[in-house]
Amino acid sequence: MTAIEKKNSKPGKPAARGIRQTMSDLHIWAGLLVGWILYAMFLTGTVSYFKEEISQWMRPELAHQAVVPDPAEVVPRIAQEMQQVAPGSNQWSLGMPDARNNVVSAFWRIAKPEKGERGFGSAVFDPQTGQKVASRETVGGEFFYRFHFQFHYMPVLWARWLASFCAMFMLVAIVSGVITHKKIFVDFFTFRGGKGQRSWLDAHNALSVFGLPFHAMITYTGLVTLMTMTMPWASTAAFKTQAERQAMQSEISAFIPAGKPSGEAAPLAPLGDMVRQAQQRWGEDRIGRVTVNNAGDTSARVIVTYGDFERVSISPKYMLFEGSTGKLLEVKDQVGAAAETRGVLYALHLGRFGDTTVRWLYFLTSLAGTAMVGTGLVMWTVKRRTKLPNPDKPYFGFWLVERLNIAAIAGLSIAMAAMLWANRLLPLEMEKRSDWEIHWFFILWGASLVWAMLRPAKRAWVELLWAGCAALALLPVVNVLTTDRPLWRSLIEGDWVFSGLELSLLALAALHAWLAVRTWRHKPKPKPQRQVAPRPAPARAADVGAVVPSAVANSAVIATDLQEARP
Amino acid sequence: MNHLAIQLLSLPAFALLALAMDRHQLDLFGRELAPGQTRGLRRFGWLALLASLAVAVALKGWSLGLVTWCGHISLSAAIVILSMMAWEQRKSVKK
Repeated sequence: MTAIEKKNSKPGKPAARGIRQTMSDLHIWAGLLVGWILYAMFLTGTVSYFKEEISQWMRPELAHQAVVPDPAEVVPRIAQEMQQVAPGSNQWSLGMPDARNNVVSAFWRIAKPEKGERGFGSAVFDPQTGQKVASRETVGGEFFYRFHFQFHYMPVLWARWLASFCAMFMLVAIVSGVITHKKIFVDFFTFRGGKGQRSWLDAHNALSVFGLPFHAMITYTGLVTLMTMTMPWASTAAFKTQAERQAMQSEISAFIPAGKPSGEAAPLAPLGDMVRQAQQRWGEDRIGRVTVNNAGDTSARVIVTYGDFERVSISPKYMLFEGSTGKLLEVKDQVGAAAETRGVLYALHLGRFGDTTVRWLYFLTSLAGTAMVGTGLVMWTVKRRTKLPNPDKPYFGFWLVERLNIAAIAGLSIAMAAMLWANRLLPLEMEKRSDWEIHWFFILWGASLVWAMLRPAKRAWVELLWAGCAALALLPVVNVLTTDRPLWRSLIEGDWVFSGLELSLLALAALHAWLAVRTWRHKPKPKPQRQVAPRPAPARAADVGAVVPSAVANSAVIATDLQEARP
Repeated sequence: MNHLAIQLLSLPAFALLALAMDRHQLDLFGRELAPGQTRGLRRFGWLALLASLAVAVALKGWSLGLVTWCGHISLSAAIVILSMMAWEQRKSVKK
């Protein structure tokens, strides 16, 4: 401990501001200002590790996939259908089903888009029949994934800028947090329960530290995924011509633009054979995607791309065939060091390479990250509440932060559950049904904000947490009533997609119930009459002093706290 | 199975490292251990942690191994913290 901190830990004696105090302020404000968005980004990102499972749950008409179909048989089946679905398209691409995903997801360029129509189309296909999936209209888990980095209802580019901006703040918050709390590793396994702000602080630290490698990695790699958008200067300076840019593009992605068609018709050679060649090279179940450029023309090209499995990189790995003859033109197995670095960082963020255990580890650590942001947000109010002249009538800033916390944290659970409810309850033949699933997400989120503003803070917390608990816990019940795949049947049949998801919903509901009970039982203590001595040695007060110097300057010890979480 | 091996090494690694801290020694044993014992605990803790890394890399190669290992040590640390909390709670109930 330095001399400056010692001075600071004495009340009422402002001292010169040390580096850690400055960092602490930076940490607090960088965290708070974008905290609500970060919380939403964290939570939706967390569930995105299971987005395929969520998508399957949201399409209950499609039977549980016991065996992954062979891509060499699936591709020709869907290709035939593509002639009808996307006639004249100069490029279409099929994402293959795998162990976690039971549909073929296709996208294509629309040959001649009508005015105002988007240039792309997309659909999901049943790999068994080759037909468009006969299921309710839904975007599935894809929504949470998209929302995680580009939100909704706003131009994609702006949204991604906003997401990048928030991620940069997150990186600042992580680094300044580590500097602020220099004893972060010494206090590694410490949690002092029932001590008000100190408990919050310990929880915040514990959540941050044990996941620190992950949080730092996920934030940094998150920035990398959007770097060509936020920092384009290096590449625009280095690559001047269109051809150079295209070369760079092909280093970092397997995207090969469709060239000009020759105009001479030529049928595609059997696609199954090309897929087989790729399977021989990489293995049966390693095919990720099959893209066809200029189908039906002599200039047709077929690109068979390696999947994300068991490989910590998304740098392109593909085989290029001449479409009309099926001749192998090129094999791309490796890229330059820079492109490979990006590929690895990108893949680390997405975590798609992982087996089930790794995926759960990602999920749990990411959930801890969500809780880290959440505890950080709540701490802002916990710390300031003791200093309020009249806790019943806080100043506007405090009131606002508190209400936004409630809506951002408790409200988001309700909103996310609401989307799954809408998936089961909206009429199947409804116009724009999948859009309305999303609208309900936002309607419920907005409603929780209104609720949080109208009710007393503590009641709003408890009520919304219970609402979240009920919304989650009743989803398996709604599923029993609306589908023929009740939880017990999924369990008996070993359908781990359905049963795993529903059991997780129940576990999350239990978590919400626990939080609600804890918040409810907590009795605010009267305003502290005296300053309680820290336990057991003065050294502990010093720990706290090192962490939140500005708070310490006023209240010396924080053991007495009005928003103590303990009964 | 592979995951179990990594977890079974990293979990005791963190438990030993936690026990090598005087604060936790006070909490658990009511006294600080002798410096020699503390050093021993710390050394074995680090050894077990390195061993878990070695197993992860040996089983899965560097790239997948490192990622998997990071996940497992995070989980282990969380389990140790939660156990410490449970221990504290039991102690305060007894009092």
